[in-house]
Amino acid sequence: MSKVYTWDHLFSRRQFIKGTVATAALGVSVSAGIGLLTPEASLGTNSSTQTPAMGIKYVTTICEQCVWRCGVIAKVENGVVKKLEGNPNHPHNLGKLCPRGNAGIETMYSPDRIKFPLIRAGARGSGLWRKASWDEALSYTTEQMKKIKDKYGAKAMMFNSTDNLSQPFFEILLKAYGTPNYGTQRSLCFNAMTTGFLYTYGTPQPGTDFSHCKYMIFTGRNLAEGISNNETQEMIEMVAKGVKVVVLDPRFSKTASKATEWLPVRPGTDSAFFLAMINVIVVEKLYDETFVKKYTQGFGDLVTEVKVYTPEWAEKKCEIAATTIQRIARDFAAAAPAAIAHPNWRTSNFVNSFQTERAIAVLNALMGNWSQPGGLIPDQELSTAKLGVLSHPPFPLAQGIRLDGVPWQYPMVPLAYGVIQTMRDNILSGQPYEAKGWLISRQNPVLSIPERQKTINALMKLDFVAVIDIQASDTAYYADVILPESSYLERYDGLVPIKNKIFIRQPVIKPLYDTKSSLMIYKELADKLGLGEFLPYKDELDLLSQQLKPFPVSLEDLKRAGHYEVENFEEDHSKDFEFQTSSGKIEISSNIMAQMGKKAVPTWNEPPRPEKDRYYLLTGKTAQHTQMFTQNNRWLLEVFPVNRAWLHTSVAKKIGVNTDDEVVLESEVGKVTIKAYVTEGIRPDCIFMVGGFGHVSKGLKSAYGLGASDSALHKTVTDPISGGSSLSETFVTVSKA
Amino acid sequence: MAVRMGFVIITSRCIDCDACMVACRAENDVPIGRTRNWVKSSGVQGQFPKVREVFQPGNCMHCEHPPCVAACPTGASQKRADGIVIVENSKCIGCKYCVVACPYDARFANPETGKADKCTFCLQRLEQGLEPACVQTCLGKSRHAGDLNDPDSKVSKLIAKYPTRVLLKQLGTGPNIYYIDEAVPEIPEGK
Amino acid sequence: MELTWALMIVIYLFTAGLSAGTMITSNLAFLYGGKDFERVGRWGAYISPFPISLGLGVLLLDLGSPFNFYRLFLTLQTRSPMSYGSWAILFFTGLSAVYLYLWLPEKHQIIGHLKSSEEWKKWLAKSMPFLSVGVASYTGLLLNAAVRPLWNAPLLPVLFLVSALSTGVASVILIATLSPWQRVRHKELHALTKADAILIILECLIILIMIVMGRLNSVSVSMAFGSLLSGRYAWIFWFLIVGLGLILPFSLELMEIKDRVPVKWALPVAAGSSFLVLFGGFFVRYIITYAGQTNGWLH
Repeated sequence: MSKVYTWDHLFSRRQFIKGTVATAALGVSVSAGIGLLTPEASLGTNSSTQTPAMGIKYVTTICEQCVWRCGVIAKVENGVVKKLEGNPNHPHNLGKLCPRGNAGIETMYSPDRIKFPLIRAGARGSGLWRKASWDEALSYTTEQMKKIKDKYGAKAMMFNSTDNLSQPFFEILLKAYGTPNYGTQRSLCFNAMTTGFLYTYGTPQPGTDFSHCKYMIFTGRNLAEGISNNETQEMIEMVAKGVKVVVLDPRFSKTASKATEWLPVRPGTDSAFFLAMINVIVVEKLYDETFVKKYTQGFGDLVTEVKVYTPEWAEKKCEIAATTIQRIARDFAAAAPAAIAHPNWRTSNFVNSFQTERAIAVLNALMGNWSQPGGLIPDQELSTAKLGVLSHPPFPLAQGIRLDGVPWQYPMVPLAYGVIQTMRDNILSGQPYEAKGWLISRQNPVLSIPERQKTINALMKLDFVAVIDIQASDTAYYADVILPESSYLERYDGLVPIKNKIFIRQPVIKPLYDTKSSLMIYKELADKLGLGEFLPYKDELDLLSQQLKPFPVSLEDLKRAGHYEVENFEEDHSKDFEFQTSSGKIEISSNIMAQMGKKAVPTWNEPPRPEKDRYYLLTGKTAQHTQMFTQNNRWLLEVFPVNRAWLHTSVAKKIGVNTDDEVVLESEVGKVTIKAYVTEGIRPDCIFMVGGFGHVSKGLKSAYGLGASDSALHKTVTDPISGGSSLSETFVTVSKA
Repeated sequence: MAVRMGFVIITSRCIDCDACMVACRAENDVPIGRTRNWVKSSGVQGQFPKVREVFQPGNCMHCEHPPCVAACPTGASQKRADGIVIVENSKCIGCKYCVVACPYDARFANPETGKADKCTFCLQRLEQGLEPACVQTCLGKSRHAGDLNDPDSKVSKLIAKYPTRVLLKQLGTGPNIYYIDEAVPEIPEGK
Repeated sequence: MELTWALMIVIYLFTAGLSAGTMITSNLAFLYGGKDFERVGRWGAYISPFPISLGLGVLLLDLGSPFNFYRLFLTLQTRSPMSYGSWAILFFTGLSAVYLYLWLPEKHQIIGHLKSSEEWKKWLAKSMPFLSVGVASYTGLLLNAAVRPLWNAPLLPVLFLVSALSTGVASVILIATLSPWQRVRHKELHALTKADAILIILECLIILIMIVMGRLNSVSVSMAFGSLLSGRYAWIFWFLIVGLGLILPFSLELMEIKDRVPVKWALPVAAGSSFLVLFGGFFVRYIITYAGQTNGWLH
């Protein structure tokens, strides 16, 4: 009978001696003072797998503290990673690292890393585990997966992963297995934006040329707190240069504090603002007529549609003065084509967010800013170096329809995006069939999908749950088996081409514990499932060599340099004006929408409003944390210790609270206790909280129970067109705790 | 002219991301619970919807007349010839007088070393010709450091071009962090 | 800022003042009191070395690098009150031990008794007051030099000196009243009580002036004093210091001076009032130390 561990055993905080690998190697003495037990240093103590090498070396790799994946140069001193700095050659960050990037060291050396495979030794969620060897854990996983496939068909096994560098290989695995069920988190974030732009331009995510832009409108896009490194830098430069920046946000975000103008728009009514802008631009003929005639279709229908959307009409909806809307529309058009209505980022706000994005897309088209300096940048896929691909046998046909309702419930949602919240709902409902197993890699559905309790119930219902992660996330907490991945500083991942450069992620040091890269975990799972030929590589180096094949550079050289610059690389702009829509043009009037019997041009859909004494619940980011990933990082907790509920002064007064008093937020689906932050910087009808806190995993010693979880409050509301979840349609009450 | 090391911080470019605080922690092994630098916020000022908020990074001011140096009973706290204020650890007894003497609250008692601790201008980086860690990582190019007495330095050029202010001028400490609140569209070239 | 100097430092500041005050009490009693006040002189001498020794021990424990403490005595940093203060305390503590020894009855003077002991006793009694004033007020200078809104007050060294004297006298009253051996007589008690009452009045006056000056000063300073009057330290200030530490003992002492206290209550009242004075003196150091740190300059 092997030893049973609890979370406390796994992540013991008891360190009586301050000696660590680093201090031992550097000969630093034990601290003086009154010999009280000091908390262990932020560096790991399991040094068995590490042989300290003398001297300093620098290793270039790629960050993974969020999805932006900046270039990192790690400084290793005597086998210990001492510092992370930005790689000046990487276009995503130009030599700088945000607070999370800097804190990657603590992510790796966190005492709460999972150090070996774990198989649960008690009931699911009981917190009892036993240590397993990799062979045992992988065999156990694949046996369960085979059992499910044999008994219920491949479709009963779900595969979930979030945007990451090894995702293409995860996709190969699931397709080889034969399941149609693939869950990404896109519908919790992008869907409205990507589908809105896809249907308009044929491109889901055009770029934006900040450096030449003369007028920028952000709708909730908060680059100062939702940091996308180089874009954040560019935004700051834009502001410093005196470029006009308008921010629509119900809350006075840090981006709003830097902007020229902050418009506290009523939540859900942004489309009214943009439709009214379009109205002014159409009526006063401020649009680029040549461009519209040559490259767009449906302008006539648009004119008809926007007739009623006058600034006066819009003022009643969005609560921004009609004169303001007119002024902005005129100034915006005057700056064309260097005028951008930013496509946005997270748009999972309202059911009508899709229409907001359509309006934004069309507004940009009226300015003729496509592929112009200071305007939208066409799809960059064409202008990116092409890596070598793995050859593998053809995939079997996926048997069965997808549990997430695509496309049978959501005919207009692209397959690549999916609707993760419906996937979760259908696990619970057992319709149209019962799901039996879930393999989740680098994703935390328990804290990301709205209605947290439902997600937990879904997990409890399944026959088998396997999680791949570097730490004991809230989802790993409910798993049957945890396959520990090496942190990004300890592993290889697929190569990353960006324009004419190819970047590598490589281990900065050997893994501290008995962990593997997900590339190898997927490979070994495939082997044990009899699907090894679909991932034909021996190890990571073999895979990377295959990816590098088209280029005259060795893997060794690439590792040394950190990146490779493709010679004679020509950016292909020949297809910039070949729009991948059915008409070949920018579809102001969308053919797909027309086919589906929906209004083809952007239109106004009235959003729900909270009743008296209820408030819009807004959630968003802070610069110091990444979604629900970093709340256990002690370095980041030093700069952002806990989330608080933003209450307008009048609201706080009404319920009798001051800043840091505890309040209770309650929605239809849940209730949380959270500290208050009383401010003038938010609409009185809104309450804001940073998402990602309120962890329920006892394996996250610092994050457990810290702050409050937004997913415990969010109602599950889905926009049927884009599949996007509508998180801001949750209304809450607030009272003193 | 003698070297006078100092900082110029452009508050208009600061977004309060706190990367500088995390970078300093990594570079200088700052213990959890303490910090050598900070970013302060004015808080949201005004009344909805006419509000504003500004951010102000800071660290040890490496003052011309540092109260911490005068206070030190063992001579551990010193101002170097280049202006950088340091603590000579071997002499420090950890009495913490310098910690309470600093009007900027820039120092702290390091529980791991038992000594007074503060921003050292990343001396170990200066020796290699590198900028301090907080300056290197700053996304907004808000933080800058260099020789205030060298007219060719970035910091001197910034001070020459824009109005600046210092903190607690009335106390006579002569702080060497100069704050620029105006927008600075382009950072000048310089050392 | 958060608290860097806490209870240990408060104890140190209190005991340093206490030893200094006790020493001066002994010195003055010896030089001007004659035979009638010999007991006061004796008790003062016996008490004096102990509080400051305790304070130094506690101070050593508070150091981040206590094994480095000798560095204090390798140099004299003239701009640092802590530097010259440390030297002063070094001499004071040593000499107070010698002074105690000289007051011991001959049979207890194990090291030996010289004919010139009386001379030395007299010499010490004449010079120790100066060193004691230094020790008592240097703690105030220490805080003055740490430029903080509450500690900048120029009267702080005077306050600490008066408080030191007051607690010194009170400690002699307390011990002399409680001890069955060499118990103080009515005349001595009366004189000491009168002295302490005057010191209390003086202390109240100084505190009043400090507060008025502080409230009329800059915003940071005004707010700092505000925290004593109506902020988070208000209850300590009004209840523990003003109430229990000044007004109540003063009232008791006044009754004692006017012979309103029934004889059987005389000793308990004396002990009680002197204890309260010590209590108040401790909390004066406490509130200044703590409030001084939590109130910083606004910037």
